[in-house]
Amino acid sequence: MRTLLRNGRIIDPSQGLDIVGSVLIEDDQIIEVGEIGDVSDIDEVYDCTDFWITPGLVDMHVHLREPGQEHKETIQTGTQAAAAGGYTTICCMPNTNPPLDNPAIIDFILDKSASPEAGGVFVAPVGALTKGLQGLELSNLGAMKRAGIVAASDEGFPVQNSQLMTDAMEFCVQLGLPIMAHCDDASLSEGGVMNDGAVSAMLGLKGTPRTAEEIATMRNCLLSLHTGCPVHIMRVSTWGAVEIIRLMKSLGAPVTCEICPMHFTFTEEHIGDFDTKFKMQPPLRTKVDIELLEQALQDGTIDCIASDHSPHASHEVDVPFDEAPFGASTIEATLAVTLTNLMHTGILSPMETINKLSTKPAQILHLDAGTLVPGETPVAQLTVIDPNLEWKFDRHKSFSKSKNAPFHNMIFKGKAVLTFCGGEIYRDQRFPSERYAIYM
Amino acid sequence: MPLNLLGIRTLEADQISALIDLGRDFKQRVRADEAVPNLSKKVVGMLFFENSTRTRVSFEQAAFYLGMRSSNFATSASSMSKGETLKDTILTLRHERLDGLVMRHKSGGAPVLAAKHFGGPVINAGDGQHEHPTQALADAVTILERKGRIEGLKVAIVGDVKHSRVARSNGWLLEKLGAEVRFVGPRTLLPTQTANLPGTFYDDLDEGLEEVDVVICLRLQKERMEQGMIGSVGEYAHMYQINAERLRVAEAGCIVMHPGPINRGVEIDDPTADGDRSAITSQIENGVFVRMASFYWCFGGGA
Repeated sequence: MRTLLRNGRIIDPSQGLDIVGSVLIEDDQIIEVGEIGDVSDIDEVYDCTDFWITPGLVDMHVHLREPGQEHKETIQTGTQAAAAGGYTTICCMPNTNPPLDNPAIIDFILDKSASPEAGGVFVAPVGALTKGLQGLELSNLGAMKRAGIVAASDEGFPVQNSQLMTDAMEFCVQLGLPIMAHCDDASLSEGGVMNDGAVSAMLGLKGTPRTAEEIATMRNCLLSLHTGCPVHIMRVSTWGAVEIIRLMKSLGAPVTCEICPMHFTFTEEHIGDFDTKFKMQPPLRTKVDIELLEQALQDGTIDCIASDHSPHASHEVDVPFDEAPFGASTIEATLAVTLTNLMHTGILSPMETINKLSTKPAQILHLDAGTLVPGETPVAQLTVIDPNLEWKFDRHKSFSKSKNAPFHNMIFKGKAVLTFCGGEIYRDQRFPSERYAIYM
Repeated sequence: MPLNLLGIRTLEADQISALIDLGRDFKQRVRADEAVPNLSKKVVGMLFFENSTRTRVSFEQAAFYLGMRSSNFATSASSMSKGETLKDTILTLRHERLDGLVMRHKSGGAPVLAAKHFGGPVINAGDGQHEHPTQALADAVTILERKGRIEGLKVAIVGDVKHSRVARSNGWLLEKLGAEVRFVGPRTLLPTQTANLPGTFYDDLDEGLEEVDVVICLRLQKERMEQGMIGSVGEYAHMYQINAERLRVAEAGCIVMHPGPINRGVEIDDPTADGDRSAITSQIENGVFVRMASFYWCFGGGA
């Protein structure tokens, strides 16, 4: 079986490649990229003229909810949504029920995500840093590493005790396991449901101050600097956190960070009349934050963009604001939001856009992904993007089980139209049928 | 869309004035034993998720004067305590054909959610730290009775502004009607960012009270001490208690109000709470009439 993706704009940040050319895939492997010498015996052709051909996108921050919260999402629906979003590799978070804190559950995740019913993307689990996400004692990280976790994190329940976090980092240096850190000083954020600011004052809602994020960011960066443990800061949302990361990077701390699309798209103002679709953790901030976050995206202080896909069932979000859970269903919109708000506006080049959505996250977590170099990934992982396709995101047509989507009804420019992971795992109905030909 | 009374912030000044005028009209008629509109076909649910005997009784009294039936929900004994969602409780009441809802809830914005699912008028009887519109209307009627006007008055709202729905509703109402609003309290009990709030903010009581015509005291919750927001009741009283001594910088005819329940000796001293300047009992009585006005307005009777 020889598949040709012909005449696309090939953008591969892993080799600094930005050319018009084709990609030849034989069975499930990339054989050749660029000018293809031998185009005989081609079985199928995708005409990618005016489209981008990029390494499959990599999402470092996804909540698949299984096991335990299958009413929100399952491995099957979550991976299908990921494929539709252009992703070929995703990292699932450990705050399931029970949490991903032992090798048996890691095996379960890997088995289930590899089953034919699943979406066909690679799932790289992130293990709980502490047992039961309780922040009291380390989980069996060595055993989980052997089982296949790619990082450790207590996600939304970050370790408050700085001694424990120091020990965690020392041990993770030994294991070669990066720590993903949601930065939150719980003594400041306790009970907070939105940004502490002018809107929370107006609505009378308990605010989470930016200092809660910034103090914890500073602590985790300092511990990273002194232990040498690679720490990936999750979902930065304030200009202060970015300044801290910039400073700590300049001092040599092995830290990286991500931003989620909500945090460069929406502000606290969007909460309007208590709209729970916009309840995030960390909370949506202000216009000033977005401006400075955009600069940090541009200058590389912010390394990557992750969806923080956080599905919740409708009945869980149709409640008073302070009772609603945090987060939103985002994985099918993240690429489009990024293209629309960052690429088409000139903040990020096409190369840097794909770097932040694919190559960089793969490098940070040492994943076999994020590149089109033949043989560098277990199977061919690539995404074809129509950067100019105008479309409206409709949550009712999404693959995700949950519809808590703040991007619902927004019009975007740019979309993944074909996702390829070993074989075709998603083809958008807007991929023109006349551009596909099969000769078998 | 039915008319709801969810808050003051989203009302126009003329709507507020209409509600105040209605309330004053009802007061005069009830006192003179004259006829008031009859809404005898209407059944209104009293949905108090947070206990409040005084506010509930006031609404029940208002409903009684208008010939309405009120239906009480003891929320601790209801299905809410069995894990039913607020949405389902509201849908149940809707399909039991209740005509309107009066709702108090610990969560800001809960009445907004209720209005979305109920389909009939919802009156906010206090939601979290957000709004308490009928209290603000009662206070406005009281100020009008005592001072003859609202426009141009200086009004100080003193105490735990940050956590007070009364402060927010009163602030918006008074500013929309042309008063100069001042919020006074220790910095730990004032909002950190005030761009979306009316009025100006003071941490010094003497400055805040200078030449004011009206002082509205706010209740100090004991939990603020436990949360470390103030050192002690004594410290708070020393710095912010409204008494004759502190009122010397205010206008000679300054009146003093309090939405209750009062912590006597904390935010206000006995002689002031019971003295000539006090309008506290008028506030309580006017509460009944503005709640009549709210029912009448929401059921399409006016404004």
